[in-house]
Amino acid sequence: MTYVIAQPCVDLKDRSCVDECPVDCIYEGKRMLYIQPDECVDCGACEPVCPAEAIFYEDDTPEEWKGYYEANVGFFAEIGSPGGASNTDVSGQDHPMVAALPPQNQD
Amino acid sequence: MTTPATVTDLPDPVLGTALVPTLGEGESQTGKDFTSDQEVRWCPGCGDYAVLKAVQGFLPGLGLRRENIVFVSGIGCSSRFPYYLDTYGMHSIHGRAPSIATGIATAREDLSVWVVTGDGDALSIGGNHLIHALRRNVNMTILLFNNRIYGLTKGQYSPTSETGKVTKSTPMGSVDHPFNPVSLALGAEASFVARTIDSDRKHLTSVLSAAAAHRGTSLVEIYQNCPIFNDGAFDAIKNPDTKADAIIPLVHGEQIRFGAAQEDGLGHKCLVRDAGGGVRVAEVAGVAAEDILVHDAHHPDPTRAFAISRLTDSGYLHQSPIGIFRQVERPTYDDQARVQLSTAGEPGDLQALIDGPDVWTVEEENR
Amino acid sequence: MTDAPEKPVQQLERVIIRFAGDSGDGMQLTGDRFTQETAAFGNDLSTLPSFPAEIRAPQGTIPGVSSFQLHFASRDILTPGDHPDVLVAMNPAALKANVADLKPGAVIVLDTHDFTARNLTKAGYTTDPVEDGSLTDFQVHALDLTGMTVEAVKEFGLSRKDAARSKNMYSLGLLSWMYGRPVEGTIDYVSTKFAKKPEIRDANLAAFKAGYHFGETTESFAVRYEVKPAEAAAGRYRNITGNLALSYGLVAAGRLSELPVFLGAYPITPASDILHELSKHKAFGVTTFQAEDEIAGIGAAIGAAYAGHLGVTSTSGPGVALKAEAMGLAVMLELPLVVVDVQRGGPSTGLPTKTEQADLLQVMFGRNGEAPLPVIAAQAPADCFDAAIEAARIAVTYRTPVVLLSDGYLANGSEPWALPDVASLPRIEAGFATGTNHTSVGKDGEETADFWPYLRDPGTLARPWAPPGTAGLEHRIGGIEKGDGHGNISYDPANHDFMVRTRQAKVDGIARSIPDLEVDDPAGEARLLVIGWGSTYGPIGAGVRRVRRRGLDVAQVHLRHINPFPRNLGEILKRYDKVVVPEMNLGQLAMLLRAEFLVDAESRTNVRGMPFGAEEMEDILLASLAALGVAPTADHEAEEALR
Repeated sequence: MTYVIAQPCVDLKDRSCVDECPVDCIYEGKRMLYIQPDECVDCGACEPVCPAEAIFYEDDTPEEWKGYYEANVGFFAEIGSPGGASNTDVSGQDHPMVAALPPQNQD
Repeated sequence: MTTPATVTDLPDPVLGTALVPTLGEGESQTGKDFTSDQEVRWCPGCGDYAVLKAVQGFLPGLGLRRENIVFVSGIGCSSRFPYYLDTYGMHSIHGRAPSIATGIATAREDLSVWVVTGDGDALSIGGNHLIHALRRNVNMTILLFNNRIYGLTKGQYSPTSETGKVTKSTPMGSVDHPFNPVSLALGAEASFVARTIDSDRKHLTSVLSAAAAHRGTSLVEIYQNCPIFNDGAFDAIKNPDTKADAIIPLVHGEQIRFGAAQEDGLGHKCLVRDAGGGVRVAEVAGVAAEDILVHDAHHPDPTRAFAISRLTDSGYLHQSPIGIFRQVERPTYDDQARVQLSTAGEPGDLQALIDGPDVWTVEEENR
Repeated sequence: MTDAPEKPVQQLERVIIRFAGDSGDGMQLTGDRFTQETAAFGNDLSTLPSFPAEIRAPQGTIPGVSSFQLHFASRDILTPGDHPDVLVAMNPAALKANVADLKPGAVIVLDTHDFTARNLTKAGYTTDPVEDGSLTDFQVHALDLTGMTVEAVKEFGLSRKDAARSKNMYSLGLLSWMYGRPVEGTIDYVSTKFAKKPEIRDANLAAFKAGYHFGETTESFAVRYEVKPAEAAAGRYRNITGNLALSYGLVAAGRLSELPVFLGAYPITPASDILHELSKHKAFGVTTFQAEDEIAGIGAAIGAAYAGHLGVTSTSGPGVALKAEAMGLAVMLELPLVVVDVQRGGPSTGLPTKTEQADLLQVMFGRNGEAPLPVIAAQAPADCFDAAIEAARIAVTYRTPVVLLSDGYLANGSEPWALPDVASLPRIEAGFATGTNHTSVGKDGEETADFWPYLRDPGTLARPWAPPGTAGLEHRIGGIEKGDGHGNISYDPANHDFMVRTRQAKVDGIARSIPDLEVDDPAGEARLLVIGWGSTYGPIGAGVRRVRRRGLDVAQVHLRHINPFPRNLGEILKRYDKVVVPEMNLGQLAMLLRAEFLVDAESRTNVRGMPFGAEEMEDILLASLAALGVAPTADHEAEEALR
C-alpha cells in the first residue's frame, strides 16, 4: 500500500506535501508531483496538507482517478528508487498519461 | 532446515541468528508476509512509519522462519510496533521489555529476539533493565526510538530532551541534564552500539543488518522525529543544506571525515585526538594525514568510541556521529546459561533429590 | 561414644530446647544439626529459628541474639512449643532475651566465659544473674564452654579466636549426650562441610566429641533424658524446611508438566534460599536468573512463560509490591506464572527475618484494575512441596499467574516429611496449542484458518498457550485490553466489560477443580469453628487439641485455597454459632470471609513477628467458647497434663 497523488495536482504542484514528507519520497515531475511507492512509508503526513486534496490512500483513490496509481508507480519504472527527492532532479519528466493531458487546474 | 544444537557447536565468530531456524529450500518471504492485519495508528508523518517499513523490508532478507522471530516492546508510541508485524510479539509494560526479552532469549536459543523501545521507556522508567541487558550481553537487538520527547503522554520532556526544553511539564524550561544514549550504552559495556536515522532507510537497514548479525545485545539508537510534540528535533541532520556538517559518519576501517567534500571526494573536516584524551573536530587541511582518526568499531577498549559519542551536542544536534560505534565479540549471558544447563549432567533423579541423604524409614511392624 | 558408665535415664514425652547466642555464634547451625539428629532418631519435631536482620549485629547485645528452638516428642506435635525446657545461652544477652520464656524449673546451660562485666552491661544486667539469685527457679549449669572448647582443640594449632568458634559444637555435643541423640549424622556433616579445611574439621569434631564426653563424665549432669521415637505412619521420612520443600515442589512441577522451570528472582529475605536452591538443579532443566531488581525477576519469568517455560518468580512482601504491575500484565496476558511470596513482617522493610501473614490482601487486590488471580497458601514446612505443585497445576491449567504464599516461619522452620513417591504424583498437562483454532471469512467470502489467542476452552475458560516457534500461530499479546477471541487491541466498552468479567469467571471457576473442605470435628457437636490459613495451621491445631483435652468441642478447618475459596466454605461457615479466625495480621482473612459470606467471623490476631503459641491459641479458643457459654470444668489433672 502507498499514497497516490492524483489529477488535482497536475499543473498546480503546491509542494506543501514535499515539505511535510518525513522520508523525502515525493518527487517533482514536469506537471505534477509523484510519490515513490517503495520509499513511501504510509505515514499519511502528506494527505492532509495538500490544499488541492490531490493525495489519497491507495484504496481510497476516487474511481475517476484510479489511473493515477499507475501514473505514480509507472513514473518510477525507469528512475527506480533514488533514495530521496532532494538530491534527484526529475523535473523534466512526466508519466505519459499525465504528459498527454490538456492543461489542468487553471482556475 | 538444520541448525546447530548449541552455541558451542558453532564456529567463531557466531551470528546473532545462528541457532534460529531458517527457511527451507525454495521458500521465500516478502515484506508483506511480515505485515499484520492491524491498522497502523501512529500520527501522520511519524518517524515510526519509516522504521516499521524498513524493518518489514529488511526482515525477509534474514531468511529466518517468521515463527521464530519475537518482538517485545514496552509502553510508548514506538511500543505499538509488535502489533504491526506478523511475527510473535508482546506489548508489555513501561520500561520492562528488556527484562521480558531476557527471559525469552535465555529460555529459547532458537528465537530471534527484538526489543522496540523509546527514550522514555528505555532510559527513564526502564533504565535499569536497559543497562543490565547490555552488561549481560543477552542475545537480542534493541531498537531505541529516540524522539527526545514523551509523545504518548502528550508532550512532556524526556531524558534525552535538551536542557531548557519548554514542554507542558517544564513551562520555564527543563533543568534536567539529558542522557546521551550511546555514551550510556558504552558505559554499560554494550558489545554493539549504533546510531541511525529514521528517514535514511539505506543506513537504517545496513545498521539493522549488522545488529541482527551480532551475537549479544545490540543497541541501535534511531533518531526519530515526532512531528506533533517535537517536530524538527533532528532538522540539522536531515536538512540537505546542513546535514553534511552535522552528520559525522562512522564506518569501520575508514577515516572519519565529514562536511562539504573536498577534492578527494571526502569531507573537509575530520576527527583527531584531543590533548585531553578525547577526540575533536579539525580541518583536514590543518592536520597530518596520519593524524586523522580511522574508525575502529572492533577495538576491545570502548574508550575511543566513548570519546566519539561525546561529540553529540544535546541541543539542536548541530553535530552527531552516526553509524556503528562499537561492535565486539563477548560471550552472551544466554549462551553461557544454556551451556551451564547442558553441562550440568544427566537428567536428575527427582526421587533421589527430594529424599536427600538423611532418610529414615518407619516400618509397619514398629507401630 | 558411650564408654563411660551409664547415668540414669529419665523418660520424657516431649522437650523444647532453645539454643541462643550471638548471631556469629553458630546457633542456627547448632540447632539445625540437633534437629537432624532428632529427626534421624525418629521423634516428631517442629523448629523455630529466629535471627536478627543484621548479619552481624553488635556483639553481645540483645538485638544481636540469634536463637533456634526445637520441640521434639514421642507423639506428633504441631508447633515449636511455647516455653523451653532447656536454654543454652552463650552470653548474657542470650540469657536476658530468652529467660522470660522458660518453664519454671527449666535447665539453663550458660557459657560463663562470656559473662564478663562488659557483656553483662551490654545485655542490661546490673548484677551477674548467675550469682545474684535471680535464676533460683531454674537448674543452672554455669560452665566455661569456651574455655573447655579451646582446651579440647588446642592440638590443632588454631588461633584462640578460631578455636573458640567451635564452642557451638561443644554445646551441641553436650546436648546430644543429654538427650541420647545419634551423632553419626553430625560427624558426617562436619567431615563433609569442612573437608577442604582439615584443621577446622578436626577442631569441630574434637569439640563436638569433647562436649559429649563432658556430659558423660561430669558430675554436673546426674541424669540423661530419653524421648522415645514418635509413632508415625509407616513410610520414608526426612526432615525439611519450607523453603527447601517449596523449591523441590517447583522442580517436581517442572517434571510433572514436562516444562523447563525458569526462575527469575532478586535476592530478598526470607525467600533467597529458593533462588539458592533452584540454582543447584540445572540437571533438572531449571534455569535461574538473578535479576537486577524485583521487576526484572518477574519480567524475565513472564518472558520465559511466553516462550513455553514454567515461569516462576520468588520474593517477599516488598518484592510483591514492586512486581504488582507485572503481575497485572500476567493477568492480562493469561500466561502461566507462579509468584512465590514468602511473607515477612511489614510494612515497608518491616521485620525482614520475622514472620507475618499480612500480605494476603496485597496479593489478592494489590494491582490496578480488576486483576483477579488465584492465591494458595502452604500450611506447614513440608506442605510447601504440595502447595508449590498445586500452584503450578492451577497456573498451567488455567493460564494464569498464581500467588503461592509461604512465610518466614514456614520458610526456615522444619519438620519431618513423609516422602512422596514421585512416580505417583499426578501429571500437569501443558497442552500447547498446535494448530489454528478459528476460521475467518474475508470480504470475498474466502475462508482462511487462523489462530485466535483469546479463544477460550469452554470448560476452564483458559486461552491457548502458543509459544513462539509454531508456524501459523504467530500472534501478538499485550497489556492493552484485548478483543474477545482474536485478542487484538480493543477499546470497545462492551468488550472490556465482557473481558473483565470473563477473567474473573475464569479464576472463580478454578473452584470446580478444588476438593471440598473437610472439617475436623471428631464429636460432630462443636458450636465453634476455628478457621485459618497458612502457617497458623500448627498453632491452631495445637490449640484445638488442648481445648479438646479439656473435654470441649471445637471444629477446625484450614484453607489452602484462598482465591477462589473452596465451594463448600460458605455452607461450612453457616453451620456454626461462632467462627473465629486467628491470623498473624490485623484480620485480613476475616475481612474476606465477612465480605464474601456475610458471616460474623471474629478476628484474633498477633503481629509480633512470631507464630502463635499453643497456649495463646488455647486462650483464644477458650475465650470464644466462653462467649458461647461453654466453659471447661476445673480439672486439675487435665491442667497438669497440659503443662
